[in-house]
This record gives sequence, C-alpha cells and structure tokens, in this order.
Amino acid sequence: MILSTITAAALVFAFAAEDSSGAETATPTPATTASPTGTATPTTKAEELTLSLQPINAERAVAFKADRLYLGDGKHIDDGIVLVQDGVIHKVGSDVQIPEGVSVIELKGMLSPGLIASHGYEGLGGESTDSTRAVLPEADISIAFKPSHLDFAASLEAGVTSIVLAPSTSMLVPGTTAVVKTAGGKIVRRPAQLQVVLSGDALSYNRFPTSHAGAMAELDRLFSEPEGQIARAVSGNLPVLIAVNDRADIARATDFAGRYRLRGALYGSLWAEDVIDLIAGSGLGVVCDPFDVGDDGRSMRSVVALANRGVRLGFGLDAPGRSPENLRFGAALCVREGLDPKLALKAMCGDAAAIAGVERRVGRLERGLDADLVLWSGDPTELTSSVLAVYIDGKLVHGGGE
Amino acid sequence: MMLQLAGALYALTLGVAEPAPAESMVVFADAIYTSTGDVIENGAVTITDGKITAITPGETPGDGDLHVGAITAGMVDLSAHMLGYESVEQSSEITPQLRAEHAIDWFGVAWQRQASSGVTTVLVSPSDRNVIGGLSVAVKTAGQPSLEQRAVKRDACLRGAMGSEPSSGNHPAFGRPTDFYSRRPTTRMGVEWEWRKSFFDAAQGRADGAEPTAQAAGLLEVLDAKRPLFIQTWATQDIRTAVFFKEEMATEGFGEINLILDAAAEAWREPELLVRSKTAIVLPPFPDSGRTRDNAFMALSTAKQLVDLGVPVALSSHGAGQHRDRLGMQGALARRGGMSLEEALQAVTITPAKMIGIDDRVGSIEVGKDADLALWNGEPFQATSRVVGTVVDGELIVDPR
Repeated sequence: MILSTITAAALVFAFAAEDSSGAETATPTPATTASPTGTATPTTKAEELTLSLQPINAERAVAFKADRLYLGDGKHIDDGIVLVQDGVIHKVGSDVQIPEGVSVIELKGMLSPGLIASHGYEGLGGESTDSTRAVLPEADISIAFKPSHLDFAASLEAGVTSIVLAPSTSMLVPGTTAVVKTAGGKIVRRPAQLQVVLSGDALSYNRFPTSHAGAMAELDRLFSEPEGQIARAVSGNLPVLIAVNDRADIARATDFAGRYRLRGALYGSLWAEDVIDLIAGSGLGVVCDPFDVGDDGRSMRSVVALANRGVRLGFGLDAPGRSPENLRFGAALCVREGLDPKLALKAMCGDAAAIAGVERRVGRLERGLDADLVLWSGDPTELTSSVLAVYIDGKLVHGGGE
Repeated sequence: MMLQLAGALYALTLGVAEPAPAESMVVFADAIYTSTGDVIENGAVTITDGKITAITPGETPGDGDLHVGAITAGMVDLSAHMLGYESVEQSSEITPQLRAEHAIDWFGVAWQRQASSGVTTVLVSPSDRNVIGGLSVAVKTAGQPSLEQRAVKRDACLRGAMGSEPSSGNHPAFGRPTDFYSRRPTTRMGVEWEWRKSFFDAAQGRADGAEPTAQAAGLLEVLDAKRPLFIQTWATQDIRTAVFFKEEMATEGFGEINLILDAAAEAWREPELLVRSKTAIVLPPFPDSGRTRDNAFMALSTAKQLVDLGVPVALSSHGAGQHRDRLGMQGALARRGGMSLEEALQAVTITPAKMIGIDDRVGSIEVGKDADLALWNGEPFQATSRVVGTVVDGELIVDPR
C-alpha cells in the first residue's frame, strides 16, 4: 500500500517534471494569442469531447475559407473551411457548419499549415556554441534567441511559422533544441531534442576529443551513467537529433542509437542512399541537410530513397546562413528528383512536427492544433507559388493586404 | 495456393519476411587446404547459413557448379589500416579506453582490396600516433557496414607503439607550440617512460585499493591477461624494449602480459628473447630493399627463421595499399624465403586467428566454422596463382565465374 502510494507519487512527480520542462514555461505569450486550452492539446477522449462540445464564441472565432486545404499529413481537401477559435483550430473540412455571427475570411488560394524548419539558428546572433568545451547537455537554446530578430521576419515571408532552433554542431553534445514560432516569440517546446554530434564537426584540434574513438568513449561514459537531459534521452523522454556527415558517421550513429535505445532522428542526409538499410532498420527519422543550387544529385536521391523506405523526414534550413526560401527550394529539388510532392510538403509540416515532438501542437490542420496557416497562390512545393499571407495562432502576421 | 498467396501478401504488407529457407552453397576445388595440415584432393566445401557444414573428398563438379583450383580459409590480416580521418586522440598519449571500432571507415577502398585478395577478417587497431592508442577490433571484410554485423571480436587486444611513431612530429616545425601536436613524448625514451609510468600507476593504484580510472582499467585488463597487448615495434631496440617491459611487469608482480609484436621486422635479431618471453610476431610486408621503418632490416627468410624457432608468426599487409603487400603475395614471398606451403598458409590464416583468440570461428576450413573462404585459380602462393573469388559468411563476395 505504502509502496503503491510512493510509486504513484513518483509517477506524478515524474509527470510534473516532464511537463515543467515541456511546453510554454516562461513563454512570453501575447494576450491576444492566449489559447483556452493552455499548454494541453486534447490528448484524451474526454478532452476532445469537451472541446467539441465547447460552444463557439462568435466574437473569438473566425472561419477561413480557401480553394484548397493541405492538411499537413499528405492529404488535402478542396474548397475547405478551417474554423478557429482563440488561435486554435476547432474544425477542419469541406462541410463545416459556420456558426451564426462568426466572421468568415474568404481566401483566394491554398491554405497549408505553417512550414516547419527542422534545424536552424535564427535569432541567435551567431551565439549557438560554447567553443571551450565539448559537452554541455543542459544548454537550452531557447534562452538565447531574440524574438524580435529580423531573421524571423524573413522566415515569415517564406511561409515558415516554426523553427527547430538548435545549438551548433561544433560540440559533441552541444545542448538541447527548442521549437519556437517565427512571430510572437512563443516557445512551442523546450527542450525538444538532445543534440548529439557524431560528425567530424564535433572534433577539435585543441580540446578533447580530437578523434572519433575519443568522441565515442566520451559518449559511452555519458550515456552509460546518464544524468539530466542525457538521462531523459536514455529513458525515452527526450528524442535525440544526431548530426552526421558521411556514411561512417551514419553507421556510428545507428549503432550508438541502437546501443542506448535512443529515439529521434539523424541530421544529415547526403549519404543516406548508400546506407539506407542501416537507417531504415534503426527506426530513426532523418532531417535532411539544407540544399543549395548545384548540389550533387546524390543529395536529392538520398531523400527520395529515404522516402521510399518510409523513413520520416524533415528539412533542415540552418538560416540565417541560408535564406529561409531555401526550405521550400530544397523540397522542390527533391520533388524534381522523384520525391512525391505530398511527402515533400508533409516533411515540412506534420513529419517535421513529429520529429521535434510537437505533433500535438503544430504541423497539421487538425482540431486542437495551433492555427498556424500559410496562404499560397498555388501548390507550396511548386516554386512558382508564392506566399500571400501567414497566420500564427490565427492572427495575421504577414501579407494579406491587397 | 490461395493460402500461400495470402501469407505472402501478409508478409509483404508487414514488411516481415517469412523464415528464409536455409541458404546453401557448394564450392568444388581440385584441392582444399584446410590449415589443419590436411589437403583434400578433388573435394567440395558445403556452406549452409554462413557456416561450413561439410567437407567432402572425391566430389566431381557438374556443369555450372562453382569450381576452382584451390580453396583455403579466408585470410586473416592483423595489421590492416581501416581508419578514417580524425582517428588520433591528441588530447592524451595514453588512451587505452578508446576503441578503434568507432573510427573505422567502412567505406574506404581498402575493404574491397582486402576482400578481393582473399582476406576475410582484419584486425583494425588505433593509429600509432599515440603511445597506447586503445582497443582493436576484429571484423569481417564484407557485409553490412555496422559493427553488429561485421565484428568477430570486439576489444580483441590493446594496441600501442614502442618505436619512433608516437614520438615523431610532436614538435611544431617552427614557432611556438599552438596545439596538441607539440605534445610529449619526443623520443624513444619518452615513449618507453609513458608505457612504464602508466602501467606502474595503474598497478600501484590497484595495490593501494583505489578505484581504477577508465585509463587504468584498460591497462589492468592487459596485466590480467584478459586480452593480448599488441605493440608496434619495427627495430631491434624497440623489440627489446617491449619484451623487457613485459618481463618487468612480471618481475614486479603486476601481471603476465600476453605479448604480440606488430611490424617486428628485426625480430630475427633477438631469437632467444622471443622464445624466452613466448612472444608472438606479426611481420610487416616484405620490403623491396630490405629496409623498413626505422631502418629495420628484414629478408624473405625472416618468416622461415622465426617459425623454425617455434615463434608464432603471422604475415600482414599493412593495409594492402600496394598490390605486392597483399596477403596472398606475402605468402608467396615467405615461400620464396623458405617456408613450406603449410607454414605460409598457417601464417596468413590460423596463426593470426589464434593470436587474438578468434580461431574458434575463423582461420581454418572445419565444419562449424564461419564460411570464410579464399578461392584460388591454382596452388596457393605459386607465382601463377591468385585469389579469384572470396566467400565471407557464406556470401560469395567475389565470384570467380
């Protein structure tokens, strides 16, 4: 009896700890975007029922009508409606009944969830690494970004509404990533992932480790008696993002993830085609390297190969070093090489959210998720389509004017 | 029929294969050299699920059967260089806790070179820029590029170097030291000091009852003969230093080291010392001019001289960068230096396998062992013979047809 009480208490404590380090702690949320559901998205039947029974308050609700809705999971609906209240999606479909008095915004174009860049350095002012050491797992990137930074305005123009901010890859364990919105400064989740770097980038000439064997010995030391964020990763409570460059890195990474039963994703897709069995067998997702004009065809073929094997994909961006437009550009290059456009868009929406552990918050047009929407002139994976308007938490933050 | 189809569909949808039927293969040869002293004329080796399941004499191949001049066990190379870039841990000279397996370049051209020349198992050791570089791993030369698939024995031995390699290049060419390259040691004496100090500290720490550090633990395991100590020693002075070091550890009561010397070109100069200390020798590729690193001299007769003393001798390729360094060719050169076919064969198969304790799986053609085979077009090590096919874990990696 006592034992079970203690266990229950421990469970509650564990849950509380997980929650406190989860979404929206110390979030500078503007009052206008405060959501009635708070941090919680409907995760239980009961909550979902409550939400569906919740009467729509016509003054706080708005209905978006568009020629097509891309749902973010690979599907779309023509002539659809997104009913939003207090910045949260209430209903999505082609036959949504719009309650009396709710203002309707008739949009000319196609609506998708806001795009998510799966790896970036926006708003950090270049301060994303502690060069004096190799390991700092408690480093929290979300304390380092400036919400008003102009980097974010550029992201909005490209239709990017959430970014996985990451510490730099020049350390072995540089810290944790965070998912932040590109307007309003909202932190969707922190820490989102523990970043581990198995590429040569983490090695240095003047501090330990200088070698891959040294790096792995250090990781084995840290992960075999884990503490803090590493312990959360080992226990499965925090996904990992393992940065890799070449095939040997990928082989090391899948071996390492298997040894400690880590879940999460690789960051680096260039050589994936050659080691596709290792990746597909590991259960890890892949965040693709950013693409540039003139990239070797292998980069894109690797992405196609990963998609064909059903590996969950996201696209890295690493702005501000690159233009945020590169996100959609890279996806389009992959489509040109044979990637299904539906999967390309999914990789920038629903799958990107799932990789970062925020699939119950953003990335799809679905009841209970934040109303982060982008209005396009056409198919988002076509480079001829442009961004007409961007909404974050249901609020117009870019474009929309005549 | 319908049921079968449904089953197949079910397997397809779930992405799970039904239990695969046993994979079987038979290789016929004019002669099978087993590395156990036997030669089987006109025989066949049967392979099932990656293992040797039968060796039968007097078999006649039919049309389309895989038939070669000779079969030997896949060769074992204890001095293969398979590391990628960034494989030197410069932050310390003594890193016994590091594992070369994490620095392996699975995609280098050397794998193909080794596999196509009949080498099926290689020992991958840390680089010799450190005095004690870390743990070596024995891996197959073909298969999925992952440790799980390829490793024959992890932590197979502890690797270090006694000669000039860890001390060279530690001074910057000019100016003030700016990084780890200006590190210690800079002489042979410094190298030897690092060896003795680290082992004495580890043994002393244990005597004092201290909890061993990761570094000390790696050294103590060698003193406890959990695994051999594999030291690079080209020249006579380094061979002597290594053996003296082993004997000093025993005299001090620290432990009995199981010693293997790598690249011991001048081992022939110290026969008594090697016999006395039961040291095993891995020879570097036979040099063109007689001179190797550190001006150490060896001749084609070196391998024969050592084996006649009863010293275990293995030949090696040092990465098989040059065609003449490949292990099959080394066997031929050793024969030219006086070794019998059986002696040369064992020096590239079962002897190296025994040195690092993997002879339960590889190194000879025996029922139950891994199906690792080198397929030759004629008698092994003859000038006209070469490896034309390779089998690793029952997979025909190089097809002679």
